[in-house]
Amino acid sequence: MFNKILIANRGEIAVRIIRACKELGVNTVAVYSDSDRRSLHVALADEAYHIGGSAPGESYLVKENIIDAAKKSGADAIHPGFGFLSENDAFAEMCEKEGIVFIGPSPEAIRLMGDKITARKIAQDAKVPLVPGSDGAVSDVEASVVAGNIGYPIMIKASAGGGGKGMRLVRKKEEFDSALRMARSEARSAFGDESVFVERFIEKPRHVEIQIIADGEGNTLYLFERECSIQRRHQKVIEEAPSPAINSRIRKKMGDVAVKIAKAVNYEGAGTVEFIMDQEQNFYFLEMNTRVQVEHPVTEMITSFDIVKWMIRIAAGESLPFKQKNLSMKGHALECRVYAEDPETNFLPSPGVIEYVRTPQGPGIRDDSSIYSGCEITPYYDPMLSKLIVWAETREEAIQKMKSALGEYIVLGVKTNIGFLIRVMSNDEFLEGKIDTGFIERHPDLLRPAELDTETALIAASLAMYSSNGKEEKASKKPTSNWKQYARRVGVSRSPQA
Amino acid sequence: MTYTFKFQDQIYKIELEKEDKQIQIEIDGEKYPVEFNKIDSNLLSIVINGKSRSIGVMKKGKKLQVFIDGDLYELEAVSEREQRKAHHTASGVQEIKSPMPSRVVKILKGEGDKVIMEEGIIVVEAMKMESELKSPIEGTIKEIMVKEGDVVEAGTVLAVVTSEDQ
Repeated sequence: MFNKILIANRGEIAVRIIRACKELGVNTVAVYSDSDRRSLHVALADEAYHIGGSAPGESYLVKENIIDAAKKSGADAIHPGFGFLSENDAFAEMCEKEGIVFIGPSPEAIRLMGDKITARKIAQDAKVPLVPGSDGAVSDVEASVVAGNIGYPIMIKASAGGGGKGMRLVRKKEEFDSALRMARSEARSAFGDESVFVERFIEKPRHVEIQIIADGEGNTLYLFERECSIQRRHQKVIEEAPSPAINSRIRKKMGDVAVKIAKAVNYEGAGTVEFIMDQEQNFYFLEMNTRVQVEHPVTEMITSFDIVKWMIRIAAGESLPFKQKNLSMKGHALECRVYAEDPETNFLPSPGVIEYVRTPQGPGIRDDSSIYSGCEITPYYDPMLSKLIVWAETREEAIQKMKSALGEYIVLGVKTNIGFLIRVMSNDEFLEGKIDTGFIERHPDLLRPAELDTETALIAASLAMYSSNGKEEKASKKPTSNWKQYARRVGVSRSPQA
Repeated sequence: MTYTFKFQDQIYKIELEKEDKQIQIEIDGEKYPVEFNKIDSNLLSIVINGKSRSIGVMKKGKKLQVFIDGDLYELEAVSEREQRKAHHTASGVQEIKSPMPSRVVKILKGEGDKVIMEEGIIVVEAMKMESELKSPIEGTIKEIMVKEGDVVEAGTVLAVVTSEDQ
């Protein structure tokens, strides 16, 4: 096992990794930017090194500064967490050259999976299902042939695309020619490149992913799936395991496919293979994330397998002591990401000082967080405050537990999405598991309270004034001048004579 | 004790009276028997008419935050002196003018309607942003000079409000 690990991250994931290290008896080194000096991960680690300015480009993304801190502290391994340098193959390579273990897969595996086209090619070679479509850019004639072959509805997408420009949804054959013309002209004016490709349009897609863990001995296992369909701005907000959409047969099929992809790049450590799933439970490879995932706790809750600790053990050369057949899952876990953001303004971040926080407690409730009363949420980083995770025996119970736990959460000082999350937990479609990536857009009513509880707000505000006024009144009763104090003393001493 | 709050552009006057262990709170003529316990300086356990709630509260200067069931309510305490001042300086006949060239989107009040201070009268749109023009005084709408859909220049008088003592 390592002697000392540097955690090249911040926020709740840095805290999570520090805790895992402590359980393994490994010393921890935190790194921090200017604005993170007062962050929780710095307080919890055994050592801490300043690595630069507040902007990620001046600190958490500067490879040299992190390597410097590792050398200064004598750390023999680096855990990159997620985001920042976690999927940067050049950084993994740099660690290798400096004789520091990068806790993650090989630079080669990161590179292969990081390039979307290469990753698609690897999946294709491994006979992994991909969203049916043309093999790259197509001519007008080819496009219509491919569209006919894969069947409508289809999506025409600009090869140079992004941001929805040059994208056209075509539901019927008759609409194809004009849609293709428009997509090309839009692509030409937006990107100066009119090449397009054609893909099947997945109606109401679900996001389902498989957790992989692989050691250096060639044991590659899957830790079942996570459903992450509740998203806003293409970012996950609520995740759960298992997925309410799939049965054990599909679970095994997806797991086997994910293992195949991981093996194709000699994957080592923890990774996630993401799939898009249609309403008929057909699944297609999306991408592989070569790092620990934000939502890893839901898998930990249903498997009792500590993913972060095993990432460290595998990097230290240990092998997995069990086979796929020894793995099982139990119960249901949900995760809600608590963000400092305002659902009413399209989830705009709401940075500021957290004046007060009270977190929920109880059996089966886990709060992976890095906030405390008085800490500051700066605009430099992701506004995620915490991940609230619950476990219960069934999905229904897990949802009820989450609703009750969210009800105990109190955050003052910044706006949060907690009210929104509570409302999702009462939504019929969510309760029935009828979810897809368009869920939030379909339910704008969940963004704000159905009815403002104005009376309660006014009563609470009056009581806040009343109870703080009381304090001020008491304060003002204190004698303020020495003469008054003297007079009072004299008055008291004279009273017996009177 | 009387407290005045501004919440969602409306002004509320709250009467608070302590009776033995209970507190009577009156909002707009409706009375609420309330008991409360301060768990810590930001957390109140409040029982209103037998219904128990745990509510986060924070007071920072004039601003108040109240956290109820996951939602944050932001209020402002208005002192009596401020109210008086507003009443004195802004009484008589008040004209509601368009602050910039804009389009009248909605008329919220009719002639003869009573309004309180800070109550919205007309919604105008300029640069794709809607803004509500509010009454600077408590009084009555004397006249509305525009209709919905009208395009107006900056400074155009859109409505006139008169205070009660006029």
